Amino acid sequence: MRLAAGAFIAGAGSRLLPVSIPFRFFGAAVAFHLLAWIALFAGGDEAPRFAGGLGWPLAALHLFTLGVLVMTAIGASLQLLPVATRRQVGSEHWPAAIWWFYTPGVAMTAFGMGVGATSVLAAGAAAVIVALAAYAVLLARNLAGAKGMPIIVAHGWAALASLFVVIATALALAGTYAGTPTIDRTTAIALHATFAAYGFMGMLAFGLSYILVPMFALAAVPDPRQGWASFALAVLALVLAAAAALDFAPALLRTAAVAAGLAAVALHLRLMTIALKTGMRRHLGRSFALVRVGWGFLVASLVLAPAVAIDASFDRVATLFGFALIGGWLLTFLLGILQRIVPFLASMHAGQVGTRGRGLPPTPSALTAERPLAIHFACHLAALALLAIAIAADSALAVRAAAAAGAAGALAFGAFFATVLRRMRRPKPPAGAGTMPAS
Amino acid sequence: MHARPNDSPAAADNPPGRRWTDADGIHIDVRGLAPPGPLVAIVELIESIGGGTTPVIVHHERDPVLLHGELAERGWTVERIDGLPGEVRLKLERAR
Repeated sequence: MRLAAGAFIAGAGSRLLPVSIPFRFFGAAVAFHLLAWIALFAGGDEAPRFAGGLGWPLAALHLFTLGVLVMTAIGASLQLLPVATRRQVGSEHWPAAIWWFYTPGVAMTAFGMGVGATSVLAAGAAAVIVALAAYAVLLARNLAGAKGMPIIVAHGWAALASLFVVIATALALAGTYAGTPTIDRTTAIALHATFAAYGFMGMLAFGLSYILVPMFALAAVPDPRQGWASFALAVLALVLAAAAALDFAPALLRTAAVAAGLAAVALHLRLMTIALKTGMRRHLGRSFALVRVGWGFLVASLVLAPAVAIDASFDRVATLFGFALIGGWLLTFLLGILQRIVPFLASMHAGQVGTRGRGLPPTPSALTAERPLAIHFACHLAALALLAIAIAADSALAVRAAAAAGAAGALAFGAFFATVLRRMRRPKPPAGAGTMPAS
Repeated sequence: MHARPNDSPAAADNPPGRRWTDADGIHIDVRGLAPPGPLVAIVELIESIGGGTTPVIVHHERDPVLLHGELAERGWTVERIDGLPGEVRLKLERAR
């Protein structure tokens, strides 16, 4: 039974889902990425001073977070966690059903936020919460039966616990908008932002990085002792931040949370840097340039966090913090990783096609599209720079320029994704053995 | 590298990442390695072969899902062959 590389991975005994499952999440994320920048353009006047409240800046924020970040996290975790846990996700119907609830739910939530239609917002939020609850069940089942990589499993459990806090505080905030508040809005926002970004997304990003970064760099598995230390510090930071948000010695615990968070990040980044420096593949191109930019913004967000808490004299510091956290770290990091995962998974899928007498399957480098990724890279970094200027200078014009650059980058990223899909379905003969793409 | 009969029970006792040579090719046992350890060990081995055509026999405990993109990039094919109970044994060859 001779197969082209990748041919039997999606067989009956495989731990991987069919590629259509993660790719529908990635495809939706690509579309929401463009819509997020358009929503930011629409909310340009309010965006530089945005600190919550219905409107297009809030819609843009949730198109980025729910539409791009969480959408990608669901697709990637359903595909990659089984590799670490050595346990299948189970039925393919659940992930598909989650997508059908989640995608329109995100669209309705964002639209409701943008136009101030609370009934649409509530209906969308309900669909999102149902989908996230179902995802939480799938995640918990997979983690509970895990047979390997305890450090990644631990990060998964922390992400899952954070997801519960995110859902609970989302319900509380939705209740506030609907006129039925349950907990203090400031407390709910603090918990929601912390546990969504650092808790759910951050823990998944850190955990999956222990596979993905050495895999792309072809490096040894990072030192587990330091990984566990980073994990413990990150959990401590989340617990301290939660206590501070609930008004238990807030100044002291907030400072301690930031210190623990910085220590966790320092250890994690040290391990990632070692992997990148010692791996067989040293040149990871634009994708890892974005990853490195993202890591820089992660540190910047933690440095800015105390200023938000003490209500610093610069009145747009909360907006700057949110920009560093969501746009700078999570979005940039994720787009860097996504442009490597997509051709990689597509190649594995195309390997099945390759068994039908077509010889070798297309390689990841043959499936990717360099020019759109180069355009995206330039546009994304320009958008980040312009957004920082917009917040610093309180400039609606700069926000719109940033949104235009971001939208152009999102279109280019969409062209990259469409090219991979097209090439995956009609595989061309490989150009020859070589190295991975330069991005 | 060590000469060792690849079908003997001793093959199952190799420490992770251990290599040896037999008549059918160069063997590598990646059982027990956490991802992406098997990927790295196997890629390191086929890179060390260079332009040679010596087959590589991989002793694994699961389907190596992370490996396939890297093998495709390097123009290698993979064939599943009979192994010991509980083992996934693969024969990797440079595509002709």
